[in-house]
Amino acid sequence: MPSRILITGFGVVSSIGRGKEESLVALREGRRALATPRYLKTSLMHLPVGEVDIPNRPGVPRTVLLGEMALREAVTEAKLGPADLAKAALISGTTVGGMDLTESAFPAYGGPHDCGSTTEAMADALGGFSMATTLSTACSSAANALILGAELIHAGKAEIVAAGGSECLSDYHLNGFNSLMILDSELCRPFDKTRAGLNLGEGAAFLILESEESVLKRGVKPIAELAGYANACDAFHQTASSPDGEGAFLAMQAALKMAGLQPGDVDYVNAHGTGTPNNDPSESAALRRLFGNALPPVSSTKGLTGHTTSASGSIEASFCLLAMQHSFLPANAGWTEADPDCILPYTALGESRSVNVALCNAFGFGGNDSSLCLKKV
Amino acid sequence: MMRKVYIRSFCALKPGAEEPDYKSLLTMMEARRMTPLMKRAVWTAAKALEEAGLDCPQAILCGTQWGCLANTESFFKSLHGLDERAPSPTHFMQSTHNTIASMLAIRLKCHGYNATYSHSEISFESALLDAFLQIGAGKADNALVGAYEEMPPLFGEMFHSTADVAAAFVLTAEAEGALCTLEDVQLLRGGNAAVPSKPLALSLAEALPCKGTLTLQGGGTGRSQSLIRLCGN
Repeated sequence: MPSRILITGFGVVSSIGRGKEESLVALREGRRALATPRYLKTSLMHLPVGEVDIPNRPGVPRTVLLGEMALREAVTEAKLGPADLAKAALISGTTVGGMDLTESAFPAYGGPHDCGSTTEAMADALGGFSMATTLSTACSSAANALILGAELIHAGKAEIVAAGGSECLSDYHLNGFNSLMILDSELCRPFDKTRAGLNLGEGAAFLILESEESVLKRGVKPIAELAGYANACDAFHQTASSPDGEGAFLAMQAALKMAGLQPGDVDYVNAHGTGTPNNDPSESAALRRLFGNALPPVSSTKGLTGHTTSASGSIEASFCLLAMQHSFLPANAGWTEADPDCILPYTALGESRSVNVALCNAFGFGGNDSSLCLKKV
Repeated sequence: MMRKVYIRSFCALKPGAEEPDYKSLLTMMEARRMTPLMKRAVWTAAKALEEAGLDCPQAILCGTQWGCLANTESFFKSLHGLDERAPSPTHFMQSTHNTIASMLAIRLKCHGYNATYSHSEISFESALLDAFLQIGAGKADNALVGAYEEMPPLFGEMFHSTADVAAAFVLTAEAEGALCTLEDVQLLRGGNAAVPSKPLALSLAEALPCKGTLTLQGGGTGRSQSLIRLCGN
């Protein structure tokens, strides 16, 4: 029986909140933070995006600014001192990296924009970290960073891992999603019959993962357990999801199996739910295959934050942790009309609901599908 | 208790070497839709898997600092008015770092573990570490691990960089027929290690099959370095 992976702190930044307190208020109120760009320089000024309300800092990728803010909040809550940080690992997930610097400086050279350089800059900003690396599996990057973090602990290669992801908006990927014709020029409506695409967002979140032994040694109180996780590949198409949601189904099923839980034990699913015509029915098919007629409450929080791409896995895992701590379920914003091909999402505000087990989905281009199972301790 | 991990086979294309004849693997239509790097990735993966007698590996991992940079450059040039063509969705969707690992999964119909690492000069080593953990923990019995880089003209000039890497390795939990044991993979920050002369994927390919014990060092100008330990069988 391997040691449990415990979560002793987390930090989260998105358009709905800079930190856990603001995020909690916005989640409880169902406040959507999507508007035309203020900080992003782009030709597509008419599109709603979820921007974090912090100004640009010359010469620093926004991915680093957002990531550093989330990482500091996580490290503070977990009470990690310099000696703890010195031996900790930092695993981040990003795809955009410092592309914002490259495009704003162009044709001058704006400094390296590679993904790894943003992770190293975050590690340097906090100090310490004996190892660092970066996952880049598009929109499941942060979820996969959490999976590697847990595996490092299981293998005895680390006792404490800060894992998550960070991604800023860039003109590059806003235009990229636009060229794929999957952006909605209105506010997005995940699982709704009239859904017409996603809104992009930005943000970051990091979770502090720790071995049981380390938690006991440091005398800190765990928030929750990362009880299961799985990474599967849809292996269907470079950007589209399969009609039967094979990758999503395999990932959710394996995450639950690893946690030693049954579908009936799940109290809440934070869906990938992008609001594109293709994702939502595919994910719904996978959910129906796994849960049959006993579907637990499911919501996508992308109607609040926008799709925070590489960072979405850790941002939405953080929302699940807030739901667990404060006994409520985040509502699926923007939904009004049922689609027979989609699940009926949870849309109520203000209800008190206890959450002991949550599943959190993050799917990426290329069918990189991952699911995390979080459990109350 | 972690299981032992072995390197079973590999295929590496030397930088600047002549392009292989892809006709045996790709139709004309497929070849036309792929960048040279994607074709090299298909080739090296196929050769390494064939050598290992595998159709579909249980895990596919890739390491790449820049991802499919030729497609990134094409899309970027359209955005910045350096190309009259409208920004192409194909260039965008094939510019993410995970393009190659997911393309291989689609071609080989592999629904297993699939991940891509992009951590500057230790991207391949990060993928190798993940494969080492997957097999060591018994979650997979074999894994395909690739290293892929390309440097198109505009970004090559901007980044003062040249990179040309295409290598694939098959790792297994089986000792039979192995080229060596992969004893350990370490990623380290902040050391004062000298900058290695070549990417670790290429020095690993040159070291195989290995006799005795051997430590290889990877890294570059970034803050992180890597060490891998091999033991001949």
